[in-house]
Amino acid sequence: MDEEDSAPTIETTVTASDQSAERPSTSSTGRTVIEARDLSVYYGQERALDEVSIPILDKQVTAMIGPSGCGKSTFLRSINRMNDLIDAAHIDGELYFEGENVYDDDIDPVALRRRIGMVFQHPNPFPKSIYDNVAYGLRVQDRTDNMDQRVETALKRAALWDEVKDQLDKSALDLSGGQQQRLCIARAIAVDPDVVLMDEPASALDPIATSKIEDLIEELAEEFTVVIVTHNMQQAARISDKTAVFLTGGELVEYGDTDQIFENPEHQRVEDYITGKFG
Amino acid sequence: MATESEDVDKLRRASGTRRRQLKGRLFEAALLGATLVGIVSLLVLFGYTAFDAFRPLTASAQWYLLYFGTLVTPTAAFTWYARRNPAVRAANAKAFAVVFGALAVSLLTYVVADSVSPYDVLLYLLFGTVPPLLVGLYARITDERTYSGPAIPVAAVLGLAVAALLYDVLRPLVGIAAQWVAYFGITTLPVAGILGVVVARRWSPRRGITAAAAVLVSTLLVAGGLLAAGIDPSFWVVLFSAFAVPVGYVVGSTVVTESDGRAGVLGPFVLVGGALAGAALERQLAIEGLESYLTPTLLLNSWDGLTASNAGVYPQIVGSVVVVGFMAVLAFPVGIGAAIYLEEYAPNSGWGGRLATLLEVNISNLAGVPSVVYGLLGLALFRNALGFGTGIVVSAAGTLGLLILPIVVVSAQEAVRSVPDSLRQASYGMGASRWQTLRNVVLPESVPGVLTGTILALARAIGETAPLVIIAVATTTYTPPSGLFSSATALPLQIFAASANAKPEFRHGVVPAAAVVLLVLMLLMNTTAIVVRNRYEREY
Amino acid sequence: MSNEPQSVSDSLQRNEFVVRKERLYGRLIAASAVLTILVTVGIILSLSGHALTFWSEISPIAFFTGTNWSPVIGESYGVLPLVSGTLIVTVCSALIALPVGLAAAIYLSEYASERVRSILKPALEILAGVPTVIYGYMALVYVTPLVDSVLPLSLPVVPSGLSLLPEFTVVVPSLRTFNALSASIVVGIMIIPMVSSISEDALSAVPDSLREAAYGLGSSKLDVSTKVVVPSATSGIVASYVLALSRAIGETMAVTMAMGMSPQMPYFPNVLRNLAESSQTMTAAMVQIAGADSYGGGPTYEAMFALGMTLFAITLTMNVLAELVRRRFREAYE
Repeated sequence: MDEEDSAPTIETTVTASDQSAERPSTSSTGRTVIEARDLSVYYGQERALDEVSIPILDKQVTAMIGPSGCGKSTFLRSINRMNDLIDAAHIDGELYFEGENVYDDDIDPVALRRRIGMVFQHPNPFPKSIYDNVAYGLRVQDRTDNMDQRVETALKRAALWDEVKDQLDKSALDLSGGQQQRLCIARAIAVDPDVVLMDEPASALDPIATSKIEDLIEELAEEFTVVIVTHNMQQAARISDKTAVFLTGGELVEYGDTDQIFENPEHQRVEDYITGKFG
Repeated sequence: MATESEDVDKLRRASGTRRRQLKGRLFEAALLGATLVGIVSLLVLFGYTAFDAFRPLTASAQWYLLYFGTLVTPTAAFTWYARRNPAVRAANAKAFAVVFGALAVSLLTYVVADSVSPYDVLLYLLFGTVPPLLVGLYARITDERTYSGPAIPVAAVLGLAVAALLYDVLRPLVGIAAQWVAYFGITTLPVAGILGVVVARRWSPRRGITAAAAVLVSTLLVAGGLLAAGIDPSFWVVLFSAFAVPVGYVVGSTVVTESDGRAGVLGPFVLVGGALAGAALERQLAIEGLESYLTPTLLLNSWDGLTASNAGVYPQIVGSVVVVGFMAVLAFPVGIGAAIYLEEYAPNSGWGGRLATLLEVNISNLAGVPSVVYGLLGLALFRNALGFGTGIVVSAAGTLGLLILPIVVVSAQEAVRSVPDSLRQASYGMGASRWQTLRNVVLPESVPGVLTGTILALARAIGETAPLVIIAVATTTYTPPSGLFSSATALPLQIFAASANAKPEFRHGVVPAAAVVLLVLMLLMNTTAIVVRNRYEREY
Repeated sequence: MSNEPQSVSDSLQRNEFVVRKERLYGRLIAASAVLTILVTVGIILSLSGHALTFWSEISPIAFFTGTNWSPVIGESYGVLPLVSGTLIVTVCSALIALPVGLAAAIYLSEYASERVRSILKPALEILAGVPTVIYGYMALVYVTPLVDSVLPLSLPVVPSGLSLLPEFTVVVPSLRTFNALSASIVVGIMIIPMVSSISEDALSAVPDSLREAAYGLGSSKLDVSTKVVVPSATSGIVASYVLALSRAIGETMAVTMAMGMSPQMPYFPNVLRNLAESSQTMTAAMVQIAGADSYGGGPTYEAMFALGMTLFAITLTMNVLAELVRRRFREAYE
């Protein structure tokens, strides 16, 4: 059903039934893996995230959408405490992973990041061989048994194996942009994390590479919990189970099932954003 | 997949975590230790040198107390007070700069003119500056721009050439005047002129003329008074004109114009006054003072290989200054010119572009050539090819100039490059030519950076020894150089030669003191460079 | 405008004199740039002129393979003792400077805060700014007695009593007045900033996205620094090593003053004895010839140029190598 009752420029309206019904939510148990409670993030005096409370459910794809600069990436980075690397960053509130507040004093962020993996917007493979890139996490975590097998599995899961299986020694920088990003995904999942965070993973790629990544994400959700930040609403509508909408000032305005957010949002601001009236 | 409850525990302080954190901390400590190793070792060695040079244990405790009271405490208190108030701090910095800067300039002027002969200096100064000044004045009056630009340096060169050619005629003429008159001409006239211009710009032309006249008259009075007392006024004329007058002007104008910061000018006087008061009290109360080797004798005598207390490095200090000064005249125009070419004129592609790349590669290779090889080049060039004598000032200055040329080029290049392109675009957009842009926009903006680079190059040159040894500069001379073609001397050479002297008063006395003198010279130059850079650094 | 221009072209042309004047300025500036090439030409010409004269009198083979260097007295010009002297100093100073310099670079680039960096970086530069005469002096007068106070030192590497391996102790003999160890120590201190400064630039140039990727995979800071950043900056680090070695080879005053002038072939198998004994480097030999006032010409004078030519060739090769390493293997990060 197209939303014809809104303003004339409806090109950007998106409905849940536009996509083919391929969303794999069959393996989800509905269990909450990550939960933010009144989480606020400050960079110096500036507030980037405003008391966000949201659950992330097991083995589902949760998408976070919203205009630029509204705190989506900041929220993502606070899940695996990557914000710790910024001196001026300061946290209020709590974030629970598997029932533990990750910001407690005796939580080791290094250990945390071994359970929660991250893929970045611009592919950032190490200037090493393809094999060494995927193996890096395993080596650093001292999990070096069956390395070849694990590397192969990761590359297969990332839908890259067939393309690189004969050239594992080649430098990762020789791959195309889309291949590099899939390599980064392989690298992140090689260590079997519980959660994979993705910060606009396809925004730097061309449409064909993007659609490959999107297919990949849907497959990954069968084994991992995926949290993805994207400014591409169609993408969010296509691949995610749950959607969170962040608007100005780092405010989480609405969270819910993707179908419901896109077809029948509760807040007017969200509807305005989705129909393209602003943002 | 990981099972949940055991792994949640692993997030918290497990033994693996603690061990990893310990390893990380140890690593960081090791890195910091390595960083400090070199610095600490050097400080230890410096400590030994200073200990031998100053012999701090020879002074009694009262001596330390005395100077602590008269010098350290007041200066520290004043500095602490000055830091809290930015206006005072600015005035303080200005006062220090002018006091020590003017002192250095006046001493150097006197010392160099004394060695070379004040009449020669006066002669060349007159013929080298009066013609360009006349040309400049003419241009200012008639508002002529096109021809006067190149005419100024041409006039200067012509003037110098005339002076050189007619030297034998002119020198006796100039020699008629008393010696102090020559110094008057060298220092007082320029100072009066500069002060007049500064005052005229800042207030009014009439005040400028008054100021200049005041300088001349007051100096004449000082000279007259000293002559009447039977003292040769030469040194005091220089000291008064080049030190007292600038200090007086800067301090006076700060006190008058800046009401909130005026206390800051007391800074250097507290320091100097404290030192003098301490010295006076030391003599008065007959307190056992420091028997250091760093005495005025060291700075004013010439070398004595037998009696340590008589040994001095005055000729070497003057020699170093003269050589490095002349080297600057030779090397800086060429180096800065090359840098300007590479940054502003050189094309980016085609044959010209390849030439430019070749030039840059060549310069970076030259920077890596050992200094001895430059000595050989100097030897072959100045002694064999040009037939100059061995180890004279010209050869030394030329050899060192070739040595630092790459450094000057690179630092000047960086300074010119740091001028933002938007300024150039603006200038071109208004129809200025490349030369006009260069002269009016780029070069003025890059002056601080170029200045910093050149001062650092000078500091490097003053410490160089190997090339001078190769071109056979004499290691121990007893008089400072008297002209461009006389034997050169240099302070580091003297240190090199004296290191063979195994007598303890030398090896652990005079020589470390001479080394301290050299280090202080370099420290002063480096500090000046940093101050210049910080003061004029513009945030774009 | 009161006067109409004669033609359109008049108002678009500048005063011809001005144009010519500025062109002249441009040429003068270009000339100063060309002068820098003349310096290199001059070096090559002056060195090769005399060096070739030398090698026409003394056979190059005898020069490059001879083991006896006594130019003034014995008229033998074998360069190997000098090469060995240079090698000893270079290797030992590298043993000090290369690890320390790299460690300092890693600390400054990865660990130090801005404030600490702003103090330590200039402090390290001071090490390079001290005149080499003063380093030589301090080596002779302070370092030698200091180090000698703990020597002779015997370190048992393999203690006695083990039946399988023979007893093996490392004996560091006490130092002569002129020795290679003191010279190596100060030269090592002197070249630390070369390594640390260039390596630090290379490390800082590694983009932050790589560090983020490594952190995201759960690396500790140690891992990030040693397993990701340093390998990515390898070309810059190697270039800094080569440049520092080249500087050590060309060092003159410190080794002349601290190492003395007794050229000899290296000691085998008691390798550590080389550190304690005096020797002579190529550069020190050149200084000795210059100081010996042998300017009448003759093979001794020419020998100085032959040594200079050899030295120039070595350092030039190394500098070019460093630049090539830096360029060819500069890892692309994106």
